[in-house]
Amino acid sequence: VDVRPAFPLPDVTWEPARGFWEAAERGSLSIPRCDGCGRLTWYPRERCRRCESTGFTWTAMSGRGSLFSWAVVIHPFLKQFADAVPFVPALVALEEDPAVRIVTRIVECEPEALRFDLPLDVVFRPLEFTDVDGSVMAPMFRPRPREGER
Amino acid sequence: VTNDWGFAHDLDNVSGQVAICGVGEADHTKASGRTATEIAGQAVERALADAGLEPTDVDGLMHVPMLKDRFDAAAFREHFGTTHEMWESDRGGGMVWAGTAPYEAAKALQEGKAHCIVNSFAVAWATQRGSMVGGPGQSHAEELSKQNLEVPFGWFPQPVYFATIARRHMHQYGTTQEQLGAVAVTLRRHANLTPAAIMRDRPLSLEQYLSSPAIVDPFRKEDCCLISDGGAAYIMTTPERARDLRAPVVEVAGVGLGNSVTGTHWSQQGAFTSTPQVFAAPGAFAMAGLTPSDVDVFTCYDPFTIVTLMQLEDSGFCQKGEGGAYAASGAVPFNTHGGLLSHAYVLGIAHVVEVVRQLRGEASNQVAGAEIGTYGGYTGPQASTLILRRAR
Repeated sequence: VDVRPAFPLPDVTWEPARGFWEAAERGSLSIPRCDGCGRLTWYPRERCRRCESTGFTWTAMSGRGSLFSWAVVIHPFLKQFADAVPFVPALVALEEDPAVRIVTRIVECEPEALRFDLPLDVVFRPLEFTDVDGSVMAPMFRPRPREGER
Repeated sequence: VTNDWGFAHDLDNVSGQVAICGVGEADHTKASGRTATEIAGQAVERALADAGLEPTDVDGLMHVPMLKDRFDAAAFREHFGTTHEMWESDRGGGMVWAGTAPYEAAKALQEGKAHCIVNSFAVAWATQRGSMVGGPGQSHAEELSKQNLEVPFGWFPQPVYFATIARRHMHQYGTTQEQLGAVAVTLRRHANLTPAAIMRDRPLSLEQYLSSPAIVDPFRKEDCCLISDGGAAYIMTTPERARDLRAPVVEVAGVGLGNSVTGTHWSQQGAFTSTPQVFAAPGAFAMAGLTPSDVDVFTCYDPFTIVTLMQLEDSGFCQKGEGGAYAASGAVPFNTHGGLLSHAYVLGIAHVVEVVRQLRGEASNQVAGAEIGTYGGYTGPQASTLILRRAR
């Protein structure tokens, strides 16, 4: 695949998602909010699909969401995933707007314990890949402790 | 879920205005060392022989918009040693366009741009696999939103997307691993009856499927399409001209095209477990004056087992969510050649060839008396419905 040498690390300087990765480095989950209609817009777009506005403001989220769906990757489809398998890429619906589904990974939970709509909290963990230099801090999710637990 | 996640294209009525008068398949193989252009040339040769036409009879060519290896006029002339001019369109090829090329061809026939139009598509993705050039994942890895917001989390490539969709479908509708497996087993049985299918000699039982390890849970290897070298072509002309040719006439009864507004960003698609076939199929059936219950044989773009169930549902053969039970019922024979899972991964072009052969009564795994056949095309952002009928 003809891409950057650091692939599959994200290009944190790619302008449309720069706010996402800068916030992650600070330990915050941030999503663009349309200045025109006030709706969260994901993925980043030049123009709001609903109101055609071109202005967006990166906005901190609570980091609370629920598990929309997931897969358990056992076969490393990229050689760079070789040391990561098995892992659980997932779609997490954000509490602020469940139509916004963050592509992420579930961590600190056995796959067998996952269920639909499981309440989740964001955590920040480094993305690292086999034979790729460097790492990038990224928002991942883990099950929210129940009331009374830590 | 509302229907604001996509839309139908408003197509003119082309029912009965274009016929498929020749079909040909290249040899479908694992890595062959051939180029896609060589493969396409073989498919076109065979389609011409099937129709009883000469290369110089062809004055229109359709090929794919998104791949570099296309069988265009220069490739055609070089392959067949001709010098003649041809009308060309890049709104053909496989995938969704295998279903809509006849619509574009009908327009070109009406406008006198061409009289005999070849649509072809071929890939050499099995040969290219080692170098990671081409293949289904490449365009996704290069798309920057996916490269920066999906791939880093390991939500890549297509088997991972569709395993995630399948799991949600299982949750929403009670679809089972056995129902997914039954699709793989059915297609393998069809391939075992089809000499041109790559998996013709490889039987598969449900027990074997269920005991095989997951590669991306809930998918086993057998839930996923092949990676192949191969291709196919079909030739279009007016029904009047087609009657003067050798093959029984198969004409286009209806065409539909639908879009998802979120494109290849499946993660954000409003109806996560649906295809834009929801938007494509109603217009095609209306154009044809038919309903899904009239269809004798159905082929659909089936990169994964779950997509067959989604296509059956979204085309209107059964209620949403009932695809697993419906597929098992045998009410409509589907992907009778083995589909992308067991025939060849040539991205839908051979599915249209299979429908034509079924309606002529020439298929290897023939559905008795088939008169109406449908192809459901799918490219993620778009879906198409092509309804064909045997002319009386």
